[in-house]
Amino acid sequence: MPRILATFRAVIGTAVIASLGLTGAAYAQKRGGTLVQLTSPEPPTLASYMNTSFAVPQVTGKIYDGLLEYDFSLKPQPSLAESFTVAPDGKSITFKLRHGVKFHDGSPFTSADVQFTFMDVLKKVHPRGIGALRELEAVETPDDYTAVFKLSNPAPYIVMALAGADAPIIPKHVFGTGDIRNHPNANKPIGTGPFKLVEWRKGEFIRLDRNPDYWRPGMPYLDRVVVRFIPDASTRTALLEKGEAHLAGYGTVPFAQAKRLAGNPNIEVTTKGYEMFSIIESITFNTKRKPFDNVKVRQAISYAIDRQFIVDNVYFGYAKAATGQISSNFAPAGFYTNQVKNYAVPDNLAIANKLLDEAGLPKKDNGIRFETTLDTTAAYGEYYQRSAEVVQQNLARIGIKVNIRSEDVATWLNRVFTQYDFDMTEVGLANLADPVLGAYRALHSVYIKQGAVFTNNSQWSTPRTDELMDAAARELDPAKRGALYKELQQLTAEAAPAAWYVETQFPTAYSKKFKNMITSPQGLQGSFYSTWLDQ
Amino acid sequence: MQLNHSGLRFVLRRLLQALPILIGIAVLNFLLVHLAPGDAATVLAGESGGAPPEYLAQLRAQFGLDQPMYLQLLRYLRNMLTLDLGYSYRHGETVLALILDRMGPTLLLMGLAFVFSICGGVLLGIAAATALNGWRDRLISVLAVVTYATPLFWMGIMLILVFSVKLGWLPTSGMEDVVAFNTGWARVLDIAWHLVLPVLTLSLFNMAVYTRMMRSSMLDQRGQDYVLTARAKGLAEAVITRRHILRNALLPVLTMAGVQVGALLGGSVVIESVFAWPGLGQLAFQSLFARDYNLLLGIFFLSACLVVVVNLVVDLLYSAIDPRMKLG
Repeated sequence: MPRILATFRAVIGTAVIASLGLTGAAYAQKRGGTLVQLTSPEPPTLASYMNTSFAVPQVTGKIYDGLLEYDFSLKPQPSLAESFTVAPDGKSITFKLRHGVKFHDGSPFTSADVQFTFMDVLKKVHPRGIGALRELEAVETPDDYTAVFKLSNPAPYIVMALAGADAPIIPKHVFGTGDIRNHPNANKPIGTGPFKLVEWRKGEFIRLDRNPDYWRPGMPYLDRVVVRFIPDASTRTALLEKGEAHLAGYGTVPFAQAKRLAGNPNIEVTTKGYEMFSIIESITFNTKRKPFDNVKVRQAISYAIDRQFIVDNVYFGYAKAATGQISSNFAPAGFYTNQVKNYAVPDNLAIANKLLDEAGLPKKDNGIRFETTLDTTAAYGEYYQRSAEVVQQNLARIGIKVNIRSEDVATWLNRVFTQYDFDMTEVGLANLADPVLGAYRALHSVYIKQGAVFTNNSQWSTPRTDELMDAAARELDPAKRGALYKELQQLTAEAAPAAWYVETQFPTAYSKKFKNMITSPQGLQGSFYSTWLDQ
Repeated sequence: MQLNHSGLRFVLRRLLQALPILIGIAVLNFLLVHLAPGDAATVLAGESGGAPPEYLAQLRAQFGLDQPMYLQLLRYLRNMLTLDLGYSYRHGETVLALILDRMGPTLLLMGLAFVFSICGGVLLGIAAATALNGWRDRLISVLAVVTYATPLFWMGIMLILVFSVKLGWLPTSGMEDVVAFNTGWARVLDIAWHLVLPVLTLSLFNMAVYTRMMRSSMLDQRGQDYVLTARAKGLAEAVITRRHILRNALLPVLTMAGVQVGALLGGSVVIESVFAWPGLGQLAFQSLFARDYNLLLGIFFLSACLVVVVNLVVDLLYSAIDPRMKLG
């Protein structure tokens, strides 16, 4: 039996005990209360099995359970699956399902629902599932409470992608009839989660009430969760300050205002709850265009960018300097290393100038080496524009004149990922729960696909890095995987297909009246079954 | 005004004349909207944080985006003729249902702001003109210039900060208290309470326009010969103002109001964003950035219809205020 399996068993064992302990101590938690949560924009749909826009799971994470959930060090914990075992060859995973779980319509949850969810829905229509479940060949159901994943190759990352927010378990008897892409129940979700949908008044709010038949005894504690959509950032802050709303995160609270809210005695601001999200912001280069096909130019730019300045002045401290495409949140798992080429050295500008001279781009009489365009979009928040302005100033110091071009999201996506019509652009990629799920698409040659957004738009790859990523995807031993990732990070830092500048640490602001608000690495996308109001 | 035989014929003829204009607008909108790069499938994939090409191709086929543009346009026009505004794949609902859902709040907001700004503007204009160069006139004129020059969104945020956050008198946003789930009269009152700040914000800009217009229009009319005649007849100043000057001075304000309806719609996009008002403006804004073509075109089309109808009403009002004007 591989070591990884033993570790998982031990972890699950302790988790079961821990959750029993939690129930035992439930006398302290009070029941009742309404939580008002803010999102922006409004979720376009509640069909989280086919739309992963970040606002969607903030609602559906409370309605749909997954097979597993995760603790802050990204270790799997039981949820609808009480335990799982990975076969020694890594090609099958057996899930033991919880007994006595009911969907919101009263029907029982069985392995048939798991089979249907993965094979007929997530593998076919889930934007990330299509990729993440590529190795999943079949789900066998020997009995009602056992589901066996059959894989064509070992895929240890699959058990990292089974939370309710990412892989919601949906009832076969409801969603199994009719076209899943256009299902009448898309916006009338029926899950097993702690809260049920009562009403969605478009443009105003979504109301979720407690599920009285929830399988965790005595939970959830809250009577109701109301999700409101407030488009204007200043208004959102005003609502939180006034106590009309209690919770907001994921860039819904701008970095500058988070700092101000943190000074409010009634409001807690935390950066916890993004460990399974881990956005890395980068300037990616079009390596098929001159002069960015030259590694020296890319390195020079990486040297010139003042990461700490961006952290302090654009993100107001809600970020940290990045070293590569793999997030430091993977350090506990052993997948992250900072032993890579260091661009934040004191004589960075001298080195950058030297590299550009060597690349045959001398300073002309006006002090400019060359002129280029930095593409960005205003859609994700003001900080993209601000970062671009910092980069513009940084690069001016080494003689590169940068013009910033800011476009709306559809135009920008089309330019950068479909037309590849750019020199440099800002791209933020989530690492998600595993490097296979998040980082590969930026670095692997199979992801050089025109039209597929948020993929390898720098169009850079080498046979060796592809090989490293392929091997790591199938490697069951975490230590061996870690070694592969270390080499990958060193090679990519050297080649600099992108200048990674920060790891975003989003602030979540919430009312201190509420306890146990952020209890999972998925933060606002978690299910909130243990959240309670101290009235 | 009586809607007699000729009045009815006038209305019918105007509506008929509007038909080709509306079709033209629909075609123009379609072409303009499709000129923008990127499509709904890309945006959906982008929002999802990326998706494989299979997923995108699937979406495009589902949305009908894989067909040539002229076929899409023809299908759109054919649907329009049967009053079918199409389906929003993003929302998973028909465009008509989505729009009707949002129409109420927007009409409520716009209607109140429309009435409030005209009444307020006319009254303030009169107040200023009848106290020419006095402190009242100066105060009103300065206020009008300030509100005219203040951006809508900033005004809204400041009002929220003062009246909601600092003083706590009024709610910050939304159309009603979504935690209370009021019903009946309690709900009506609650909505009225939530209307105060957005209506005020949306009205102030137009009110400034009407105030200035009414003032100058009053001053202009006061120098006309018919006023001299009236005065020579020995009519009291108040009567002259009320019965003669006012009627004539109102007409340019009314014309302006008809033209401003379109601007009011634009303003409501901003106001709805600031106050999280669940109306059409927000929906239009979102659908533009999401390249939700069907929905966006539907909203544009209904806005065009609204402008046509309001201008028709203004023309009818014209003949009511000044019976010398004939409909025709």
